[in-house]
Amino acid sequence: MHRKVLAAAIGLFGAVAVAYGADAALPPLDTGLVELGRSVYVKRCASCHGARTEGAPGWDRPDAQGEMPAPPHDAEGHTWKHSDAMLYRIVRQGWRDPFNKTERLTMPGFSGVLSPREVRAVITYLKTLWTPEQRRFQQEESRNQPFPRDP
Amino acid sequence: MTATLHALMLASALAASGAAVASQDDPGPIVALGFEGSQTLIKADEKALYRSSDGGRKWVAMALPPAARGHLAAMAVAGKGKGALYLAGPGMGVLRSEDGGRSWVARSRGLPDGKVIALTVHADQPDTVYAVLAEHGIFRSEDGGASWRLMDKGPRENIVQFVHSNMPGSMQSGWLFAATTKGVSRAMDCFCGWRDAGGLAGKVSAVSYDPGQPQHVYAATSDGLFLSVNGGEQWTKAVTPSSAIITALLATSDALFAATGDGQLYRSADRAKTWNRVGA
Repeated sequence: MHRKVLAAAIGLFGAVAVAYGADAALPPLDTGLVELGRSVYVKRCASCHGARTEGAPGWDRPDAQGEMPAPPHDAEGHTWKHSDAMLYRIVRQGWRDPFNKTERLTMPGFSGVLSPREVRAVITYLKTLWTPEQRRFQQEESRNQPFPRDP
Repeated sequence: MTATLHALMLASALAASGAAVASQDDPGPIVALGFEGSQTLIKADEKALYRSSDGGRKWVAMALPPAARGHLAAMAVAGKGKGALYLAGPGMGVLRSEDGGRSWVARSRGLPDGKVIALTVHADQPDTVYAVLAEHGIFRSEDGGASWRLMDKGPRENIVQFVHSNMPGSMQSGWLFAATTKGVSRAMDCFCGWRDAGGLAGKVSAVSYDPGQPQHVYAATSDGLFLSVNGGEQWTKAVTPSSAIITALLATSDALFAATGDGQLYRSADRAKTWNRVGA
């Protein structure tokens, strides 16, 4: 019985490792957190950043209102260039591009909407969309700037 | 140990070559300007570095390793002018001095080659240095050049010179303003995208900003000198010190310096409305 459980666990871990682009230098992602993050993304982020995380059309230049559209979060975007600490802060507090032609935030803050665990979860989900090289880069950026501890 | 050995080798090479004095009889274009502390002005041409402690009336050549001669493209002083001195250029990689230019240490480990065409130091983090390599992109070091990481391919147009700014509003810790072969490009220092900064057309030879008012950015083009008071969104034409092309700019909190292609240096104390020739 124990052997079966162990085999199932190993099989599950293997599937997760393949599915999430596991790499010898990269720690496996917490599957529970990834699944929570996926559902948070669909519910809270996809309307601006795209159902497939592809970003808004023309995301790399200001739109007709002089605002920067929502960027993609996949390997085509630049989310992977930011540390865990910075991504966490941006999701929680939001951010306004200083060159916006309106007073609106470029990225609204979700501190009153998402729990700290949900914020970490959605960022963890985004990591499944990046190449191993991008994940290594982001991991290095996060070495001295990790997620803050939950309050 | 290796770095120490390299420094000794460079110092030995300097002594053997008698490289301490560089003639200023035929000054070439000044490629970079900097301040060491609040009083000492430094200028670099392609062959040498010069230091002036009297506002530019008298210049003293600084010793350079033979590898740097004829290749200098960029110079930067870390720590708001109080820290290490960096030199860079095609074929020489990056050199760092911690003793005011008396000795130099190669700081190119982690760079794919020595073809460094531009270099700048973080406005607030003296050990963070950025280098542009012609065929690769922008590298960043957070340990004073001891190691480097490729951060970004850079803007669409080739970078001629660039500067790190602590202008507010960045997602991370500041901005990079790049003089390019077509206008000024701007990016936050997390490298999440380069955007045109305003509508300057044509090649920009130099860019600098006022550290006291970081939204004030200066850009030198073949059409003259331009000033932006809103971080590069709009530019207005400023007074150009001479008809010669500006090759280097340095803005401080109370003055703007412009070096021209004929080897002259000018200073303005009123945001480029009037100019005086330095040393005249």
